[in-house]
Amino acid sequence: MSAILGFGHFLPSGVISNDMLAAEFGVTPEWILSVCGIVSRRKVVEEENVCDLAEDAALRCLQNSQTSAEKLGAIIACTGTPHRQFPGVSAEVQKRIKAGTIPAFDLHLASISGLFGLALASRMCEQWGPTLVVAAETMTSALAQGPRVKETAILFGDGAGACLVAPGDGPLAIRDVQVASDATFSDALRMDFGSTLQMDGRTVIMHAARKLTRSVAELLEKNSLRVDDVGLFVFHQANLRLLERLVQELKIDRGRCFINGDKYGNTSSASWLIAASEAQAAGLLVPGTKVVIAAFGAGLSWGAALVEVESA
Amino acid sequence: MALDDRILETLGRVAKAPIPTDRETSLFDTGVIDSFDLLDFVADLEKEFKVKVPDNDLHPSKFESLAKISAYLNTHGAS
Repeated sequence: MSAILGFGHFLPSGVISNDMLAAEFGVTPEWILSVCGIVSRRKVVEEENVCDLAEDAALRCLQNSQTSAEKLGAIIACTGTPHRQFPGVSAEVQKRIKAGTIPAFDLHLASISGLFGLALASRMCEQWGPTLVVAAETMTSALAQGPRVKETAILFGDGAGACLVAPGDGPLAIRDVQVASDATFSDALRMDFGSTLQMDGRTVIMHAARKLTRSVAELLEKNSLRVDDVGLFVFHQANLRLLERLVQELKIDRGRCFINGDKYGNTSSASWLIAASEAQAAGLLVPGTKVVIAAFGAGLSWGAALVEVESA
Repeated sequence: MALDDRILETLGRVAKAPIPTDRETSLFDTGVIDSFDLLDFVADLEKEFKVKVPDNDLHPSKFESLAKISAYLNTHGAS
């Protein structure tokens, strides 16, 4: 048994609007909105890097969890856009927040690493103690490493989110986490050394839709739950058309699907953590609520988690 | 009904633009379907032709033209 003690997130102050992208790529803002449902994205400013985002999200998470850094048992940093090959973002976070001599490592799985981090933390926190899962991405910097193409530039933004996972009871009990990978189409979503993001959007979106739908359905069935028993769905905010598809396929009441991807775009590994953090801040995690989290990303990998807000 | 006619009828349910008469023309490039439509189309094909499209076959290249769709169904026991 383990639980999430709290969330935190940080978004940089730079903004990329549809007007800016429309001018860059010779399309209309309306076209951008129609294909992805995204209105704006955030972007790092000046010398800000992925570690700065991770640090801020980590500190806010610790504050929201009423836990100090010296109480941490491990740090898992999740990113597909590290600032260097090694040591990873985890090392920088450990140093900056003044955590002790605890295991700190990166999960380099891009969009899915936040959920894999949760899966790992939920099992290992019994041994390690409170485990900070912090996901941070500078997707706009990654896209700047090669020729910019509209298909990816319109989707991605920068940001960071975090959660603290501890053994035993807590504000959000982790009931189940299921993750899986299938490398059949691993080349469809990748970033090679010295290159920019390569995405075969058609393949990715088809597999994301099919596997996320199936993953959530299987998670609910395994836990003897119906869709209506879930108070809040927090999905990876990849693309709002994908979210609409999931809502339709799973027959989810749209009001129960948290959406903030229209404001921030796809922040990769950080997206569901930012969404969960905003949902908590908005008071949506009321006692007794069952929350389903689901994400999809490189690998191709996917998964879903069930958490339950502690009853009053 | 011939296989191609049944494919056209099934495709017609999701098509957003006129279906090209050239069997090799891309259904994506001509705006007939996008990735999301393809998911619906594949589901309709599974029902219409009593085939199962496994995840390993879920790739746009296998369904990007009428010729490719026909070839796929012919080699996967469509009935």
